[in-house]
Amino acid sequence: MITLPNECYYEIFNNLRHNDNYKDLYSCALVNRQWCRIIIPILWSEPSSHFRDTSLIRICLLTLNVEEQSFLIPFNISLPSHSEPLFEYTSYITSVNELLFDGIKNWLHYNIYSRELENPVKHALITMLLRTGKNLKYFHLDEIILVQ
Amino acid sequence: VKLTSSEGTEFIIDRKVAEKSVLLKNMLEDVGESDMAIPLPNVTGPILNKVIDYCTHHRDDPFVSQEDDSKKVSDDIDDWDAEFCKVDQGTLFELILSANYLDIKPLLDLTCKTVANMIKGKTPDEIRKTFNITNDFTPEEEEHVRKENEWCEER
Repeated sequence: MITLPNECYYEIFNNLRHNDNYKDLYSCALVNRQWCRIIIPILWSEPSSHFRDTSLIRICLLTLNVEEQSFLIPFNISLPSHSEPLFEYTSYITSVNELLFDGIKNWLHYNIYSRELENPVKHALITMLLRTGKNLKYFHLDEIILVQ
Repeated sequence: VKLTSSEGTEFIIDRKVAEKSVLLKNMLEDVGESDMAIPLPNVTGPILNKVIDYCTHHRDDPFVSQEDDSKKVSDDIDDWDAEFCKVDQGTLFELILSANYLDIKPLLDLTCKTVANMIKGKTPDEIRKTFNITNDFTPEEEEHVRKENEWCEER
């Protein structure tokens, strides 16, 4: 295959991004390293409805630093134990909306935690997103969170 | 307007056709009418021929700006364009390179869409086979990418 400049790959991959269907892009990310490096930022730029997905929340939780993790310690939430992610995925996110909260609910439910733990998890994740979100342009969470 | 391809073949085309290329358009505006051929060392004769075919067919199309074509889906390729893209993969990629170099946005869109359509619905392995790409991931890396992005598979 002739190697193309990255901007051409970007054009090609942009055609594979329709609505929330990321299946084709996901397959492309697994082709080789070069494709992966181009696609990961596209995939993570707007997870939108995928924020509901527990496996996406899991990756976000893996990104918490020590301080952010410490918000969760008093609540006995055990964080996913997995080696550090390959990319700093959350730095590519451009837009966060309330679907993130649905994701947190789903994650708690999936891991059989009480719904009362929503707030500390929100607190940790929002702090992390604001710390790592170098590309954040839109952050809309219409709720006040009180954390003791 | 006279153009010379990388191997020195000369092509004479209408200015209107040449102006489909933003690179040539700007050059012509800067230099003005001239008998001098414009050398295109990055484009081979057969590819330049194809590019000229495309620009001639689309010579009267309105100029589309970058912004308003962003929503197009990759299924809306018309018959002439689809026929135009029925070339071997090497040629298709050469066309992408030339469209990018000559800055012909609609041709770049068309060729990139065609490649995107070749990717659609395929597994990573099928994509590698289609484009003859070597998998240079270590098994651990591949597993990482797979697990960390598995949310993409939903719905």
